[in-house]
Amino acid sequence: MDEDTATNRKFRKELSSGTVALVLLSVLDRGNEPMYGYQIAKLVGAGDADTPMGKQGAIYPVLRSLERSGLLQSKVEPSTSGPPRRYYHTTQFGRETLEQWTGIWEQTKSFVDNMLEGVDNE
Amino acid sequence: MSENIEQYLSQLRKELSGSDRATVQDAVSDAEEHLRSALEALRESQPDISEIEALPAIIEGYGTPAETAAAYQQIEERLGPPLGGRPQVKSRPALARFFGVFADPYAWGALLYLILSLVTGIIYFTWAVSGLSISIGVLVLIIGIPVTVLFMLSVRGLALVEGRLVEALLGVRMPRRAKYARKDVGWWQRLKPLLFGKRTWLALLYMVLQLPLGIIYFTLFITLITLALSLVAAPIIGPILHLPIVVTNNTLYYLPDWSTPLLAMGGVLLLTAIMHLARLIGRLHGKLARGLLVGE
Repeated sequence: MDEDTATNRKFRKELSSGTVALVLLSVLDRGNEPMYGYQIAKLVGAGDADTPMGKQGAIYPVLRSLERSGLLQSKVEPSTSGPPRRYYHTTQFGRETLEQWTGIWEQTKSFVDNMLEGVDNE
Repeated sequence: MSENIEQYLSQLRKELSGSDRATVQDAVSDAEEHLRSALEALRESQPDISEIEALPAIIEGYGTPAETAAAYQQIEERLGPPLGGRPQVKSRPALARFFGVFADPYAWGALLYLILSLVTGIIYFTWAVSGLSISIGVLVLIIGIPVTVLFMLSVRGLALVEGRLVEALLGVRMPRRAKYARKDVGWWQRLKPLLFGKRTWLALLYMVLQLPLGIIYFTLFITLITLALSLVAAPIIGPILHLPIVVTNNTLYYLPDWSTPLLAMGGVLLLTAIMHLARLIGRLHGKLARGLLVGE
């Protein structure tokens, strides 16, 4: 894909700081049952070179901050094979917020698309 | 490069040194959960892969300790430490700030906690002292070891309960990390931190300390609250009920009527000051609890 220069990295990081939260919220909202970090990371393909999600480790602090803002809730459950896992699910407030964020995203997307294509001034 | 998960975690902890303690706890437990889950998932397809072989690929996806630390620090910078500091009160007039303490849930929580601390202090102290002496007493017998282990486990349990109490009433975050029970070490290795680890003994110390502290908190606040309430009640006791304030042999002393409204005002001021004091002592006690009950 694109070169991994410092400017590109910085730009990608700036873009993803908002989109990652939106993506995580929507993934958790669509999945009908609570999910834990590793599951979510696999699902969104974080850590793969060709997804703009950053490293898998960058997902967890975002999950924590979404929980702190009341958009997600979590509980820790022991697992049979591995360590105890923190399962996240969306709250009512999270679902309402997701709807609004999706709207904001659509708006931003079409605005940026228009700008990149060059708007025809009528 | 990390050779095993423990090493990765300690590198991560080092990278995060200087961050809020709760952030470090979060980061470390997230990393441990992820790395172990990933290792577990990998072993389903390749059962005999060793930790040292598998780890580089897993870390490649998860991020190096430095990258992970940066991700947490970035979020912490944006949002402030997780509940570590309370949001600063915006500059309101001093008078509103002074009386605003009645609207602060943590001031009420602290007052409740400090008065309750006599009860919890008695329970913790009794449990700690009798448990410890029984454990030491029967240590020479064959049942000594299981009794001691059970007692130490109960100390950890009580420390967790106290942590929840402190978190709920004092608003000091008491992060806890569910310990991963390692299967690759023997039972003695697992018991050692329980019996000789700093955490159990600090929790015991806290439980013993809670009694003297509880007595001080309880006495101080009950005395102050009684004094303040009787001051507030002065206009009723004197001018309306005509009750004396001091009775000696044959002499009754009354307050002059004009002084009672002033005393009542003093009582209200004192009540407000008590709330501030409760919040302050609550914060200090929260720090003590955090220092003694939160590991690492």
